[in-house]
Amino acid sequence: MDLAIQDIKQHKGRCLATAIGVGLLFALVLSFNGIYRGFLFEGLSFIKTTNPDLWVVERYRGGPIDEESIVPEFFHYSVAAISGVAKASPIIFSPVEREILGKKRRFAIVGYYVFDGLGGPQKFVAGRGIRRAHYEMVAYKKLGLKVGDRVHLGLHTYTVVGLTAEGTDPEGEPLVYLSLPDAQEVLFQRDNEEIRNQRERLLQSLTTLGAFSPGEAEKYLDRLLPDTHLANAIVVKLAPGADPAAVARRIEKWLYLSVYTTDQETELMLKGRLAKAKAQTVMFRIILYIVSIVIISLVIYTLTLEKIRTIAVMKLIGAPNRVIIRMVLEESVLLTSASFLFGLVLIHNTYQVFPRLVVLYASDDFFTFVIVLLGAILASCLGVLQALKTEPALALGEQ
Amino acid sequence: MEVLKIEGLSEIFGFGRLEVRALEDINLSVSAGELVALLGPSGSGKTTMLLSTSLILEPTTGKIVFDGQTIFQKNGWSGGVDIRRLRREKMGFIFQSHNLIPFLTARQNVLFPLNLVGVKGEPANRRVMKLLEYMEIADRADYPPALLSGGEQQRVAIARALANNPRLILADEPTASLDTIRGKKVMELLKKIAKENQSAVIVVTHDVRMIEGFDYVYYLKDGRLDKQSVTH
Repeated sequence: MDLAIQDIKQHKGRCLATAIGVGLLFALVLSFNGIYRGFLFEGLSFIKTTNPDLWVVERYRGGPIDEESIVPEFFHYSVAAISGVAKASPIIFSPVEREILGKKRRFAIVGYYVFDGLGGPQKFVAGRGIRRAHYEMVAYKKLGLKVGDRVHLGLHTYTVVGLTAEGTDPEGEPLVYLSLPDAQEVLFQRDNEEIRNQRERLLQSLTTLGAFSPGEAEKYLDRLLPDTHLANAIVVKLAPGADPAAVARRIEKWLYLSVYTTDQETELMLKGRLAKAKAQTVMFRIILYIVSIVIISLVIYTLTLEKIRTIAVMKLIGAPNRVIIRMVLEESVLLTSASFLFGLVLIHNTYQVFPRLVVLYASDDFFTFVIVLLGAILASCLGVLQALKTEPALALGEQ
Repeated sequence: MEVLKIEGLSEIFGFGRLEVRALEDINLSVSAGELVALLGPSGSGKTTMLLSTSLILEPTTGKIVFDGQTIFQKNGWSGGVDIRRLRREKMGFIFQSHNLIPFLTARQNVLFPLNLVGVKGEPANRRVMKLLEYMEIADRADYPPALLSGGEQQRVAIARALANNPRLILADEPTASLDTIRGKKVMELLKKIAKENQSAVIVVTHDVRMIEGFDYVYYLKDGRLDKQSVTH
């Protein structure tokens, strides 16, 4: 006869309420595991999706994701000329907030060489990749766009030709892929009114100083206007057998740029932009673990205290300590397991509704279960101690 | 055959000015099949006597011999004696407030002490049903204690006390929570058990109306067994 199971059977409603209550707490713990994983996944998503051998960025910058970096687009010719480089192409990565389908939406624009460049979308859930130099876009499906939708960005309208389900910016916002010139236009090109104003200002400056006549100033004006042929990084594919460190050293030495491998770029993110938020999430997870264990302890301890007179009776009629210890421990393990199962089922059926990505790993679920189970066993030791301290004499006399 | 023999037992708590002599120079002997009542007013030491007799409380001095085995001598438990095992194998307890395990059914409550001594499966079930039938409560075997009346609970408690065919049954005010008619029925049952099972039965009570037909009655007053009366 199993005393713990009999007790649970006899108090079904109460045990169910406890399992649901504690289970909700476990669901919170498990969701935070998933939020933490999702946060890291999104933080590194663009790096992993692009995954070049080297990232070439503005000197002394940790760009292009951890920190802003601007390099002239044509630098990719110089990078490609370095020995050990098989291919180099410019890439733009820039988070923006623009109106899509009548709503303000945050997303990140990725501009790349669509014909022979590196860094475009890899997996499509609908449609195709960009095949034209202009006015086509590929969007992350979460933006709510459909293939064929037309989206106005900056000065032009772009047609959605494909949908992807991979890659977000570090804030979890979806990516929108454009050809590099289109991305440059959307991000760097001013509107016509502002260009006119800027030309006027420059013309005034040049002629007021007396160095140029209005005719000469007009001649140089185009060269002095801000350049929009910019990129955030040059991504590099190495030639077979090339040593990444040696190629990086050569680029840094001869082109005065900073170079990172994808692993180093990941490290930059983990130690930089993601570090504090990661530490915060870890801290919150630890607090949640502690809170869950404390609550389980209280539940188990209270359940044991309620049975003190019964335990005294058991001791008086000669029940050995192991019978009593087994009852307390087993009840603790059963309640914890049932609560955990409830939390597990709940979170695995609701994680999709979270606004940011929640990534649930079986290893995290298992680790959490082991932790809370150990906590529950530890907590039930308090109950066991109380049970062992109970005097059989308590069974005598009136209740 | 003598089941319990207590000689010169004293129970002293505290020391100096705070010393309390709960029991002093107690001599008691109970044989198999005997029904003994222990009477006394509140504070006379009845509960202390019960605790000592059930080997829960270590006496200050004296000697306890149980079922031919010396359990306590002078000022210490005899080595090698597993007291809790003695209690589960050779003693049965009946309590004032029944003290059934609330989350077990009547059947399981009686089964519990049998399981503790390793009797399981069909033999245990047969024994449980026999006892419940003997107590005329078999029809309520699958009821939890909360759904049984006070008298029914007490009958289950007696069945539980009898489960392992104990040599000694200790009953602490077994009729206190029952009305007179039910109380008398329980006492009749205890008499029957003493005779039929050849168990020694000690009943602690303060109700003199309930002791009719007992073999011996001991009066406890201020920690001393003042008077021993043979009723037949």
